Amino acid sequence: MFFHIVLERNMQLHPRHFGRNLRENLVSKLMKDVEGTCSGRHGFVVAITGIENIGKGLIRDGTGFVTFPVKYQCVVFRPFKGEILEAVVTMVNKMGFFAEAGPVQIFVSNHLIPDDMEFQIGDMPNYTTSDGSVKIQKDSEVRLKIIGTRVDATEIFCIGTIKDDFLGVINDPSAG
Amino acid sequence: MSVEPFNRLVKLAARAFYDDITTKGDNQPKTGRSDNRGIAVVVLDALTRRQWVKEEDLAKALKLHSKQLRRTLRFFEEEKLVTRDHRRETAKGAKIFSAAVAATVDGQPTTKEGEEKIKLHTHSYCCLDYAQIYDVVRYRLHRMKKKLKDELDNKNTVQEYICPNCGKRYTALDALRLVSMDDEYFHCESCNGELVAESDKLASQEGGDGDDNARRRRREKLKDMLQKMEVQLKPLIDQLSRVKDLPVPEFGTLQAWEVRASAAGRAANGDSSNDPSRSSHGLGYGGTTLPFVGDTKVEVDFSGAEGKGENIKSENESSSLKVLPPWMIKEGMNLTKEQRGEVKQESRMDDSSPAVEFSDDKKSTVENDDKKNIQDEYVKAYYAALIKKQQELDEAAKKQDELSNTHALNGISGMTSNRQVGMKSKRDEDDGDDDVEWEEAPVAGNANENYKVDLNVQVDASGEDEDDIDWEEG
Ligand SMILES: [Zn+2]
Repeated sequence: MFFHIVLERNMQLHPRHFGRNLRENLVSKLMKDVEGTCSGRHGFVVAITGIENIGKGLIRDGTGFVTFPVKYQCVVFRPFKGEILEAVVTMVNKMGFFAEAGPVQIFVSNHLIPDDMEFQIGDMPNYTTSDGSVKIQKDSEVRLKIIGTRVDATEIFCIGTIKDDFLGVINDPSAG
Repeated sequence: MSVEPFNRLVKLAARAFYDDITTKGDNQPKTGRSDNRGIAVVVLDALTRRQWVKEEDLAKALKLHSKQLRRTLRFFEEEKLVTRDHRRETAKGAKIFSAAVAATVDGQPTTKEGEEKIKLHTHSYCCLDYAQIYDVVRYRLHRMKKKLKDELDNKNTVQEYICPNCGKRYTALDALRLVSMDDEYFHCESCNGELVAESDKLASQEGGDGDDNARRRRREKLKDMLQKMEVQLKPLIDQLSRVKDLPVPEFGTLQAWEVRASAAGRAANGDSSNDPSRSSHGLGYGGTTLPFVGDTKVEVDFSGAEGKGENIKSENESSSLKVLPPWMIKEGMNLTKEQRGEVKQESRMDDSSPAVEFSDDKKSTVENDDKKNIQDEYVKAYYAALIKKQQELDEAAKKQDELSNTHALNGISGMTSNRQVGMKSKRDEDDGDDDVEWEEAPVAGNANENYKVDLNVQVDASGEDEDDIDWEEG
């Protein structure tokens, strides 16, 4: 799920960035540092949408670096158990398949793949129904439901299922 | 629309799911006296015998404390079985409801309200929502079954993997770390052994250690529950399928239901009286069918008049345009003065009445009856207008007050009172004014109705009052 929230971060800026462009330098550094990262608490930071407030800088002893507390608005993506996501398959093996929904990696184990789909080994390993009408392979798009998440300080990993109503392949690249 | 199958559904669902519901908070001691399990079923059963009901009345009927009933109803509202409505209303408002109830229950004529207090009370009403109950029960059954089946199929459970070499356990959440680029399998982090999914292990080692036994017992229990559920809820499921294609009884919102119920009650009684006091309070609630009654009647008269107009034309060549009685003239009608009957009304009437007599003798009576009726009505309307003036001058009749609130009557009386003998010079000007007023007349809600009723009452008196009026000269 996506959220638009306000986060705060202490930015350390090298003295060479001081001057009339200080603020811009600060913001571009913030974007470089923060966008694409993941915190277990808030999820993945997708994009910074605005700066709320930049506090007073504090000069660090000895180094000349200045620390600015920056409040910024950003869009974060945080997957939840029970959430339905659309994802792209990245790898298929005997144990199941991996898929990505933006920054999130999801593993679907083979017992959560419908029983009528069988693993086919080969150049393009895939799961296929007996009549061959539905095939899951690398780059397939699937709709899946998240049944578990592992949230570390810097990482979120999910496991999902496609063994439920309206889940499964939504776009087959080989068919297109 | 039969409610019975749906009521049976409600009763079955009540007994299946709400039998042991207690609405007491958990902190209260569960003594024998305070145990109110079963109340929920009683309340639902009572509601199947009613439509919209005031919660106070229901509490009285069930001999329950109104607080207790409200708690139960609030629970059912959350369960989506019951719709409730609350409104602040005067004693009169409450009477509308009781009138509506009376209409549905035994069709007694509704009584007119007397003086009412302006004090407002909040009253709550409740009603079963059959359409939603049908959905809610189906959804509940679906969820029950799905939960058991999912658990049985290990759906939504996190797959576990075991290393056969060192016995280390992993879950699917570790998958990213376990995957190897070399082959299709997961590998142990410590010994690089090929991991085995635990369910496969369970299948291969049937009747293994105690852990597996517990798991198997759990599966047995789930299967048992699923079976029991199917057996015990069979009557309910059967009733659901029986009800499936039936039209769902729909009572609508409280207001809509009240209007409908009281209208139906009145129709059943043949009570077509349309007293303005009732319609005006009806309007207070935004929806009432009463104003339309008047409009419809106008329509009927109008079509009759058209037929008559043709008759006149064929039999009475001298008048090419029919004269429309004043009560038929509506806003937006494009009429000549002749049609409005403002020129030589008297003479035309004299012309046409003999024609009626004449044709009565020789031609088919059906047409003439029709014509005569219309003409009679015209005459009535005409005289009524005269009387109206008379009455205003005399200020004798008390009915005048009741009628004067409609534009139509004001128009008539205004016109006639201005046309005194010897004031002909003003006539044209007056006509202009009158036109406006006449045209607006039928627009006013139930004015038509009043007007007509009045006509019938007053016609008798018309004979004596004629001489005062100067129209005959024109
Ligand atoms: Zn191992």
